[in-house]
Amino acid sequence: MTDAEPVLSLQNVHKAFGGVVAIEEFSLDLRAGQIVALVGDNGAGKSTLIKIISGVHTPTSGGIRLDGEPTAFADASSARSNGIEVVYQDLALADQQPVYMNMFLGRELTKQPFGLLDKSRMRQQTQTLVDELDIRIPSVNSTISDLSGGQRQGVAIARATHWASKLILLDEPTAALGVAETARVEELIISLKTKNLAILMVSHSLDQVFRLSDRICVLRRGVQIGIRETAKTDKNEIVSMITGVS
Amino acid sequence: MRRELLNLVIGLTLTLAGGPLFAQTIGPGGETATPTAEITVPENSMEKLKAEGHTAALLWHDQSDFVNAVTAGATDEFARFGIEVVATTSAGFDAAKQRSDIETALIKDPSIILSLPLDPVTSAAAFKEAKESGVKLVFLSNLPADYQHPGDYAAIVTDDLFQMGKQAADALAASMGETGTVGWIYHDAAYYVTNQRDNAFKTTIENDYPNMSIVAEQGISDPARAEEIANAMLLRNPDLGGIYVTWAGPAEGVLAALRANGNTTTKIVTLDLSEPVALDMVNGGNVAAIVADEAYELGRAMAAAGILDLLGQEVPPFIVAPAVTVTADNVVDGWKQSLNIEAPESVR
Amino acid sequence: MERLRSRSIGTDIQQWIVYIGFLAIFLFFALTLHDDGFLTQRNLTNIILQTAPATIMAVGLVFALSAGEIDLSFGSIVAVAALSAAVAMQHYSMPIGVIAGLAAGVFIGAFNGVLVAYLKLPSFLVTLATMGLFAGIARTMTDLRSIPVVNETFTGIFGSGKLFSIPSLVIWTAIAVIIGHLVYRHTKFGAHVLATGDNARAAQVSGIKVPRVRFYVLTICGACAGLAGLLYAGRLQAAKYTLGESDLMTVIAAVIVGGTALNGGKGSVMGALVGSVLMGMLNNGLILMNLKVSDQMIVRGLIILLAVAISLRDTKR
Repeated sequence: MTDAEPVLSLQNVHKAFGGVVAIEEFSLDLRAGQIVALVGDNGAGKSTLIKIISGVHTPTSGGIRLDGEPTAFADASSARSNGIEVVYQDLALADQQPVYMNMFLGRELTKQPFGLLDKSRMRQQTQTLVDELDIRIPSVNSTISDLSGGQRQGVAIARATHWASKLILLDEPTAALGVAETARVEELIISLKTKNLAILMVSHSLDQVFRLSDRICVLRRGVQIGIRETAKTDKNEIVSMITGVS
Repeated sequence: MRRELLNLVIGLTLTLAGGPLFAQTIGPGGETATPTAEITVPENSMEKLKAEGHTAALLWHDQSDFVNAVTAGATDEFARFGIEVVATTSAGFDAAKQRSDIETALIKDPSIILSLPLDPVTSAAAFKEAKESGVKLVFLSNLPADYQHPGDYAAIVTDDLFQMGKQAADALAASMGETGTVGWIYHDAAYYVTNQRDNAFKTTIENDYPNMSIVAEQGISDPARAEEIANAMLLRNPDLGGIYVTWAGPAEGVLAALRANGNTTTKIVTLDLSEPVALDMVNGGNVAAIVADEAYELGRAMAAAGILDLLGQEVPPFIVAPAVTVTADNVVDGWKQSLNIEAPESVR
Repeated sequence: MERLRSRSIGTDIQQWIVYIGFLAIFLFFALTLHDDGFLTQRNLTNIILQTAPATIMAVGLVFALSAGEIDLSFGSIVAVAALSAAVAMQHYSMPIGVIAGLAAGVFIGAFNGVLVAYLKLPSFLVTLATMGLFAGIARTMTDLRSIPVVNETFTGIFGSGKLFSIPSLVIWTAIAVIIGHLVYRHTKFGAHVLATGDNARAAQVSGIKVPRVRFYVLTICGACAGLAGLLYAGRLQAAKYTLGESDLMTVIAAVIVGGTALNGGKGSVMGALVGSVLMGMLNNGLILMNLKVSDQMIVRGLIILLAVAISLRDTKR
């Protein structure tokens, strides 16, 4: 598994805003079918890293390789067109639109000859996807605001899965959910591994990190403290890495 | 109160602005005025009219106590001859709404339409359908462009503007013993209604009262500035015997200036009824008289003109309603005569 | 699950409320004004003709509101466009008049759009200001004079003319509503408008060019107001600075009653059409009922209040 060529590889990435250093020096390989958890306290630099990977920020120095090729994302769209999708903490769903329109938000399917929306194809593809991922919603025509928090999270993850060919970034995927819904969403995340996607997940819940991840990467005040294989570490070690207290 | 009317009469302004000033009110085509008193429907046609069951529509430009009084006058006159008013509208100064109102009213096939056309240009097309379907049209103050009497319309009815100005001059002269100095606060804009009234006042003082002279003239375009204008005028002419103010709104400001100066001797005359101005008058303040139009009578004459046209009788093209001079002695009757409503409680 | 289903049925009823309300009021007038000519073809045609300019303004406003913006200036745009067309026709030719009217609408709309989309000023304040600005310009353009429109080709195409015995105003309304509906419901642009009004951040991160959407919806509003100005000029055979001024509240009410959310993300062009005709039908019916003017206003106000209350009832979360 570790022998596989990394899908995305960050090499000595450094990011400073003016004189303020946000990320000291960061290297990480993300491989298909693997979940890496990014943990650290508030202000450790997790969201800056997510923004660098999703193309919102460009690193001050250091390189990003995509499938081994050096890459620079000009903006979020170019990251997206390279197969990288983000599931934001606020989900970025249009609440009053139906599920299928959200699935294709900004990338609507059209049909010839007039370039009108191909709603039936969008509905049908959405249906296939939610069936495949076993996301239980009343209908692909349901309005987002009629769905529960877990269902919305499911839709957001399904959308990312549909469009991502390489990597999905999950930002606090279950922060707003109850126990039962969290379990459903975790099952969903695990099932994504079989789709041959690399997954980078930010989470505050160490229990969840240990349940889901293959590796854990710890950040503290912009410094990469270390990467551990989940199976070969324990909570105490990770907590002391996060806090710096041993 | 009458500013709404002022806005409307641009059409007449175009015909008359810059033209000579006449010693009487004349129509847009130079027609001489016929007093409303001469417009009466013969009582013997009552049976015939009742039997024919005519209807009328009143399509106004806006709502005001003036319009209400005209409506009341017209409705009462129509009722006498068994003519039912089947629609009443207000265009709120919107030319497009007026057009729609006409179309809607025509659905009820009225025999007569009384209306104030919002302006000559936009109303020409608006009244076309009504004109062509033979509805008898009686216009208030304004005439759609290129409409010909008597083929296209029965008559235009308006206030006797010259008479209003003249009566204001007469009333001020009476209160001043026909002697003394006068300040003239006129409406500084090209508006037919106010220009006619203001100039009639001035002409009358100059021609009829040799012992009175207008020593101060000041134009006003914003009624809110009336008080400062009056202050300036009083500063330069502290012994003014009387002040004419173009209409009641600015007269309230002039009154405030007089009171602030402790002036109880300078007389004021103005036009159009207003409760605060009338209150000063009945309390023996500065206001000597208010000249108002007989709006109720104007409405009656509009209805009568329409009915006469319906009967195939000749209707004079230009009809004017008389003015009434309201003083402290006749304020209750004056109010009734002008607006056909009871005078406000405070001035009774 | 039960809760979900009942809520979406509620939403469905709410979507249909404008049509139900329209039918109810139509039936009421049809029964009570049967002898007063309400149901005559002439009267029903009148209602459509009278509401044509407002309907076209309403189509534009559906786009602006759906994108989370508002345009308060369209009434002033109507006057400027109508006067531009009338003046240009006096000096040049009919086609130049048409172009001048439409260009005035598009230009002012784009002006609003630049201020809102690229200078990031709130559309409520921008268009509140430009409403006054362009109302003033409309008054200055001709010194308050009304300008007659005598070109018969123009008054035919935009006013009293007919094509295959269909009044031209009906054709313009149909064109605006059909194109508006197609763009709104069946194009990427329409979807982006809704997404922008629904959740601008989500739209942005999904790659939708949010400022461009905002610019376009206000330009569309201006263009629709420009066309409405031409229709007024054609219908009245004249242009005047007051045109469109009193349409603001009617059009906003028509659009809201028609199911468009004031705060974006939801709307209907067809609903706006029905809402607009409903407003015209109310005016018409209340006059035919021979109510006093003040009573007409009171009844109309109450009915609009009721309709708006029902159509907004469950969009408040």
